[in-house]
Amino acid sequence: MTFVRWGRKKLTVLALGALGLAGALTLAAFAAPDHAAFASETYKPGRADEVVAKVPARDPSEVAARRQLASSPERVELAVELARADIQRYRTLSDPRYLGRAQATLARWWKLPDPPPEVLLLRATIEQSIHEFPQARADLDKLVAQNPDDSQAQITRAVVATITADYAAARASCNAVAARAGALVAATCTAPLDGIAGKPDVAYAHLREVLMRSPRANAEIRGWALTALAELAYQLDDTESAMRSLRSALDLDADDAYARNLLADILMVTGHNDEAVKLLAGRDTIDSHLVRLAIASRDAKYVQAMRDRIAAAAERGDRIHLREEARFALAVDGDAPRAARIARDNWAVQKELADARLLAECAAAANDRDAAEPVISWARATGVRDAQLATFFTKLGVGGAR
Amino acid sequence: MMRVLAILAILCSASVAWAHKPSDAHVRLTVDGSTIAGRIDVALRDLDGALGLDTDGNGELTWAELQSSAPQISAYLRDRFTISDCPITLGDAALTDLSDGTYWAQPLTATCTSAPSALVVTYKLLFDVDSLHRGLVHVSGQTVIMRDGSPTTVTLGASTSVVSFIEEGVWHIWMGFDHILFLICLILPAVFPRRNGRWQPADSLKDVSREVLEIVTAFTLAHSITLVISAVGFVRPPSRIIETGIALSVVAAAVNNLLRAIDARWAVAFCLGLLHGFGFSSVLIDLGLPSGELIGSLLGFNLGVELGQAAIVVAILPLLYGIRRTVAYQALFWAGSATVAVVATMWSFQRWFA
Repeated sequence: MTFVRWGRKKLTVLALGALGLAGALTLAAFAAPDHAAFASETYKPGRADEVVAKVPARDPSEVAARRQLASSPERVELAVELARADIQRYRTLSDPRYLGRAQATLARWWKLPDPPPEVLLLRATIEQSIHEFPQARADLDKLVAQNPDDSQAQITRAVVATITADYAAARASCNAVAARAGALVAATCTAPLDGIAGKPDVAYAHLREVLMRSPRANAEIRGWALTALAELAYQLDDTESAMRSLRSALDLDADDAYARNLLADILMVTGHNDEAVKLLAGRDTIDSHLVRLAIASRDAKYVQAMRDRIAAAAERGDRIHLREEARFALAVDGDAPRAARIARDNWAVQKELADARLLAECAAAANDRDAAEPVISWARATGVRDAQLATFFTKLGVGGAR
Repeated sequence: MMRVLAILAILCSASVAWAHKPSDAHVRLTVDGSTIAGRIDVALRDLDGALGLDTDGNGELTWAELQSSAPQISAYLRDRFTISDCPITLGDAALTDLSDGTYWAQPLTATCTSAPSALVVTYKLLFDVDSLHRGLVHVSGQTVIMRDGSPTTVTLGASTSVVSFIEEGVWHIWMGFDHILFLICLILPAVFPRRNGRWQPADSLKDVSREVLEIVTAFTLAHSITLVISAVGFVRPPSRIIETGIALSVVAAAVNNLLRAIDARWAVAFCLGLLHGFGFSSVLIDLGLPSGELIGSLLGFNLGVELGQAAIVVAILPLLYGIRRTVAYQALFWAGSATVAVVATMWSFQRWFA
């Protein structure tokens, strides 16, 4: 292609460029209300009976309990009951406002070094939920030291210790509950530990057998066990079995966000994005569901919603979305180096198998072996065997994890 | 362009669903002399939790219920939010829709005795009913996060962050080798242009400077446009495509020197410069755009990029001009362009297949 001298056209094009720049800046000023200091438009409803917001319907018994607590604020059993109900609501709805409300209800005891054990357990649960794992662990250590027979505290401690890669402590807590909580709880408690210790096959066979022998276990425990079983199957690359177990877990509790996410992940890995979208559709209020919806569907409305939510969390100084942020940066923005940086920050906070896969995946995509170093040494130290991790390690030119 | 329009349409349409976000409230303040004007936005759901606005308890908050509680809400805000010792007057409240629901939006004015250089903000809303609540106070280009009811001092005046963005811009153009190589390839022929169909040394530094100025301006305009539209989130192409594209633009600029195909190098600078803007924006996004001063940080970063490239141009242009009649220039021109073409081709492959 030959170009003639453009002569005067040059000026026109440059002028158009300047116009474009001015236009883009103006658009930016108008279209960025969520980012910039611009306040959003206000309005007044036209009719007095117009419903302007849905709020949780009031529960008379709860109102009564709160009134009682207000008149005698030292009654810890009332506060604990109210906080426990809010934590339960948080679990079913994933609405963090309930978590904040539970903490506020316990405010009188929250900062005490040695609050009553019931408060200590709730405090640890809330801390765990907002990813303050060291604080949660300290509280749980205190609890089990006071009462080694506290199964709830032991199981929570096992979970927190597993997340922070303190496998000896996790195993000790699992062993402590084994005698009193039953075979299924014990097997489920140790399943991820054995999985990480390089024995997913043995753990799978054992957990599966115990599960079959425990048809009468309550739904919550069965759901937990089925999800743990699915994790092991996924580690062994048996995605069919994993998906079957997860569907059973979701039949028991449709609000089990963990099981739903894992099922969506397996669907996406096996190339069934449309099914993953179907599985998560309508549940986009939960960030971890939304990020998967955005990735699986590439639907601009989900992508934008997730972007907004990451921005909103950053604005309030939250760092509990690192997992979602890293996945989003990798899959939607295609920015592997940034994704790897976030995944590394995430790994500093939590070290579950999913976090290991995430960091390895991002580092592999960024072609940055150094970024994966923490996971590589973790895999060497634990002897973990995992199909996904092995794929990413192969890409990184690292042996092991098979 | 279709994609831009599609995204715009979404920005304008209603949000997907009400997100389960933790509770935030926003206070936006503008300081003008001794007067502070602003607005306080609190989620209706949070106000209901604190004050029981849903008087019939049916889970539906009507505008009538809100209006009857308006004095109570104003009193709550007045009791729990103070700025230094500047008395606050609350204005006529309305509503505003944010991504996670409807908010109470009440204008406020605070009158201080003298123009403050710092504000002591005390924010005590909602913490007693929701410990994870945060008050986000946006003032003077900063966002201060209120985590509890303790008084917080906010220093006003020139924020340093624009300066730091200028520095980042300069730094990026110097470290980002590809942008510089692209520009150098384009200005290499300026001292030895084609005139009347023949390649010959330029007569005056003035002519050379004018052409270089055109090239630099075109490049600047182009990358500014894409930097802005990408930084505000209209279009964000995958970084792999952009990074590869930038490398290819360097190849194109170098090959253009070898083939001497296009004399209108400012046009090349403009068209391919669009790609470079996307590259700049990913750096800017990585730095974390400060919420309060998107425009300021964008301009600062861009200004830094311009200063950085101007410094380089000013340094090498006299040098090139000085040697334009020598063999050294011919060697630099041909060998340099060829080397850049090869190296940048390798970059393209690396970036695409990385």
